[in-house]
Amino acid sequence: MRVSLNWLRDYVQLDASVEEISRAITFLGLEVESVQTTGAPPLEHVVVGEILTRARHPNADKLSVCTVDVGPAGGVKTIVCGANNCDAGRRVLVALPGAVLPGNLVIKASKIRGQVSEGMMCSPDEIGMGIEHDGLLLLEGQPALGLPMQQALPAGDVVFELEITPNRPDCLSHLGIARELAAWFKLPLVYPQEKFRGDISGAAARPDLLAGVRVDHAGDCPLYTAHVITGVQIGPSPVWMQERLKAVGLRPINNVVDVSNYVMLETGQPLHAFDAAQLGGRQLIVRRAAGGEKIVTLDGKERPLNGHMLVIADAERPLAIAGIMGGENSGVSSATTDLVLECAIFKRQAIRGTSRKLGLASDSSYRFERGVDPHAALESAWRAIDLILETAGGRVVGPVYRLGGEAPWQREIVVTHDFITEKLGFDIPAAEMRAAFESLELTIAREEPTLHPRRGPAWTVTIPSWRDDLDRPIDLVEEVLRLYGTDRIPAAAVQAPGLAVDDDPAVQFNRRATEYLVGHDFHECANITLRPAKELAGWTSQAAMQELALANPFVDDQSHLRTTLIVGLLEALKLNQSRGVVASRLAEVGRVFIEKDGQVLECAAAGFVMAEPVGERTWRQREAADFYSAKHHVAALAALAGADLSSRPLAPVTAAQPGWQVGHSTTAGDIGDGWMARFGLLNLAMVKSLGIEGRVFAGIFAILPERLPAGFGVRRFVEFSGFPPALRDLALVVDENAPAAEVQAKLTEAASRAAGSAFAVERVGVFDVYRGAGLPVGKKSLAFNLMFRSAQRTLTDDEVNTVFQRLQDDIVATAGCQIRK
Amino acid sequence: MQETLSAILAKAAVELPGILTRPEFEAAKARYVGPHGELTALMKQMGAVPKEQRPAFGKLINETKAQLQVQLDATLARIAEAELAAQLGPPVDPTLPSPDAGPGTYHPLTLVREEMCRILRKVGFAVADGPEVETEYYCFDALNTPIDHPARDDKDTFYFPASARFGNISRRVPNERYLLRTHTSSVQIRTMLQGPPPIRIVSPGRVYRRDTTDATHSANFHQLECLYVDRNVTVRDLKALLDYIFAALLGPDTQTRFRPHYFGYTEPSFEVDLSAAHLPKVKKPWIEIGGCGMVDPAVFEAVGYDPEVWSGYAFGMGLERLAMLLYGIDDIRFFYQNDLRFLRQFAPGPRGGSAS
Repeated sequence: MRVSLNWLRDYVQLDASVEEISRAITFLGLEVESVQTTGAPPLEHVVVGEILTRARHPNADKLSVCTVDVGPAGGVKTIVCGANNCDAGRRVLVALPGAVLPGNLVIKASKIRGQVSEGMMCSPDEIGMGIEHDGLLLLEGQPALGLPMQQALPAGDVVFELEITPNRPDCLSHLGIARELAAWFKLPLVYPQEKFRGDISGAAARPDLLAGVRVDHAGDCPLYTAHVITGVQIGPSPVWMQERLKAVGLRPINNVVDVSNYVMLETGQPLHAFDAAQLGGRQLIVRRAAGGEKIVTLDGKERPLNGHMLVIADAERPLAIAGIMGGENSGVSSATTDLVLECAIFKRQAIRGTSRKLGLASDSSYRFERGVDPHAALESAWRAIDLILETAGGRVVGPVYRLGGEAPWQREIVVTHDFITEKLGFDIPAAEMRAAFESLELTIAREEPTLHPRRGPAWTVTIPSWRDDLDRPIDLVEEVLRLYGTDRIPAAAVQAPGLAVDDDPAVQFNRRATEYLVGHDFHECANITLRPAKELAGWTSQAAMQELALANPFVDDQSHLRTTLIVGLLEALKLNQSRGVVASRLAEVGRVFIEKDGQVLECAAAGFVMAEPVGERTWRQREAADFYSAKHHVAALAALAGADLSSRPLAPVTAAQPGWQVGHSTTAGDIGDGWMARFGLLNLAMVKSLGIEGRVFAGIFAILPERLPAGFGVRRFVEFSGFPPALRDLALVVDENAPAAEVQAKLTEAASRAAGSAFAVERVGVFDVYRGAGLPVGKKSLAFNLMFRSAQRTLTDDEVNTVFQRLQDDIVATAGCQIRK
Repeated sequence: MQETLSAILAKAAVELPGILTRPEFEAAKARYVGPHGELTALMKQMGAVPKEQRPAFGKLINETKAQLQVQLDATLARIAEAELAAQLGPPVDPTLPSPDAGPGTYHPLTLVREEMCRILRKVGFAVADGPEVETEYYCFDALNTPIDHPARDDKDTFYFPASARFGNISRRVPNERYLLRTHTSSVQIRTMLQGPPPIRIVSPGRVYRRDTTDATHSANFHQLECLYVDRNVTVRDLKALLDYIFAALLGPDTQTRFRPHYFGYTEPSFEVDLSAAHLPKVKKPWIEIGGCGMVDPAVFEAVGYDPEVWSGYAFGMGLERLAMLLYGIDDIRFFYQNDLRFLRQFAPGPRGGSAS
């Protein structure tokens, strides 16, 4: 809201500087967004002069040489001027030698292209009054020669643009702001003089102008008042009123419209005036619009109405959208002689819904949405009547319509000095608290000692009707602190009694996963959670897509929750590649949303991509990442979440997961059971279609946050043997598609059986995979190294050989594979 | 005999220096001192030597054996040395860059978040977490945000269709709508509903607003909020916490100031300004950094805490904004583009430094 300092000074005698006032507003809790100064700046040696003659400069086509009379300020001067409009007879502002203009331009007598110039005639921008610099500022109304510019120009003003918090609708008015400033500066607040005050005794009743008012929906319109004023003469409003309206950004229309705006900006109560001649059936009805009804509002637009919208109608048609905007043909025009002044209260919900539905907001709807004090409405109407009679003439006639009206306002809050001190944590003297209340017109109805006399008094504070936001003792703590000054809160040390609580398991996992990935040379990324539908289509089923969709996306490409972190990382890869930045290892730790059986599960996740470093040239090539690098990282991330990747079967990725390359990627686990992992090569065609060059290996691990362990418990030390191991190698010929882990598991079992209780099989590891010459078609060879060890002794070759032979017989018999000699 | 022994030594002196590998060496050694070696053969003849000559013969053999051993040892040492030298390759040029990728980098939002959490842990705050998909109850109702509050408008908040089902996000009110949380305050509510005070948590996390993306707005961004609930918590304690946080983050000269404000979930409420002298690209003496206040009694009632007994404060701020102020970043979109030239700038360590 824009607030004029000149206007505020009607109600409170503010002598403080603009900076002090600005600071006061800020610390009262009303944010100052900008401060704008209008009117003439305080420049010296800039006076009114009249151009007597104008001649072309002998040495410059675009310059003129003028004689200018500045009267008592120095008589006739010769001045060279570059403007086009320096015509003889014009009165202009002349900066005389000694003047310092904005931009630190010092005016001196000088020669310009050989011609003496004893000053400068000014354009608006040269004296800091706007940006106009094409011509001189021409003065209207023949101001006296030699008059200082401050006296020749309209008085200046300071306009504050304020952001008012939703709890303070009372501050959407100059009186409200003035009340706050009066309290801050400890100055009296002067209310406008009222004359009318509702007395219509002796006035004629004019049912021919307004025969009846009806409110159909008192729930939405708890108060409706209408006054009839006859014999008004519509014309421009007085200059002082126009100046104020213009200062706060309103365009003056005519005296009646201006008065209703003026009173709204003064008191916060929106008002509307109807031309009495336009009221069909001499009726005003507050009702809901009928379906199909339309209205052309003051801004010239036709608006379709629906049955939820509250309108002010006459007997035939809607005249105004209640509390939002009047209609085009029912308002006050230059032909109006009799008018009906509406001053009403509309409920915020009723206004809000309609305003949103129509996409139509106004100063009036803004105030109703935030709440207008119903107990001051009538006084605002009287104030408007005073100003209408003053500016447009006419008189009030009967009857006055007043429908509804809330129960009389009464609210008291009991608060103790002790309570306020306890909440603040420091002491403010009781007298200062009292003064704070009273300066805000929160009058102290009673002051009583509390049961503990040392703890100060208890106050019964009377709350005025415009402070509906004050309802509880805690609300008064804020009022005291606001006026005491938040900058006076004393410093203190943080009281930190330890609560011995650990970080949330999800927080711990995020931290561990990020540290792991960064420690393994990944660049941690942050990607937007909301993704476009077409992007996710490659990563999740069509049915799941529905579950992930927002009801109200803001833009199309941010319409769905991400199901994987890979999509964002690919986007980042592409961005870097397209900018000529070599990027390979990118990672993100964050939430993903995975559909399972018609439900979406929010999961903690860590994901990464490892791309071929396209464009990188280095003097020594390193081995590129592959499927097993991805597996390594996913297994490590799973372990950080307390999950064992090898504890769940690996399922090959299928065509149902088109983001991944079939045969080169795999899935472990199922989110329905708590966690899942997927890793391997990303689909080559998909990656290429994204415009990314080179192969990309990737992995993601996702877990339900509630399954993350709070800690890993205490591990127990397991004793190990101090005797040397015995090593044997064994190559098995198996089916081409036999998973190595299965063969390994069978071999491990067979080895354990063979060794029995004699000694331990410490390790069975794959060390070679071979296909080709020497093997039957459709077979491959897996070579294992086995490590045996005893806890009690050094093993002899003989006993190991015996076991090793038994093992070979066993594995051939039970696993159906051949020993490769 | 003498001659034979001398010949063996002479032969070894010629042969051994030419041996370059360990297998050759082992073979040569066997030829001299192995079970079938020349010297061994001579020793076997000891029995055939007349008794009186035996001591001299034995002495001679032993001397020869010792001399031969010296030659063998020297040869082995030479081979071992050559083997190690072969492992070396040419000398390195230490000025060549490492061809290894990396080092990895933390995202600046992570750096700022972890630094704030570290500062807060020192004064007893544990890091809490909660879902990003929330319900109207946890995001609004419990935080004293009335049903017609503009923040709840579907113009400003992302909602899910009534049919949406989130399997692991609990609803408090049957069939209430799911939404994307607009602040991490919902974590405060879930934490308070889990157990009794005292509570001292910090909840960093991702939040969502339905907003046009521009230099200062992003569809998702991050917040960090603190909540402290205990007996006799005061406005002065709140100010002390804010002073502590920003002095710890930006140095002891940093000041904070409170401007009275309005939030539905705190009373009184303040906006927090930070003295901006330390901050790059800020030309104003004060800059707004977050909001705070004393937890509104209505919030305590919503979670079943007795507001007569318990009091508390809450503080929240945007992590992007903090990072932007701290690092002098002037466009929020940099955080979500992941240009490596951006990400590499914030790694802790020497400025402009790089492992390669």
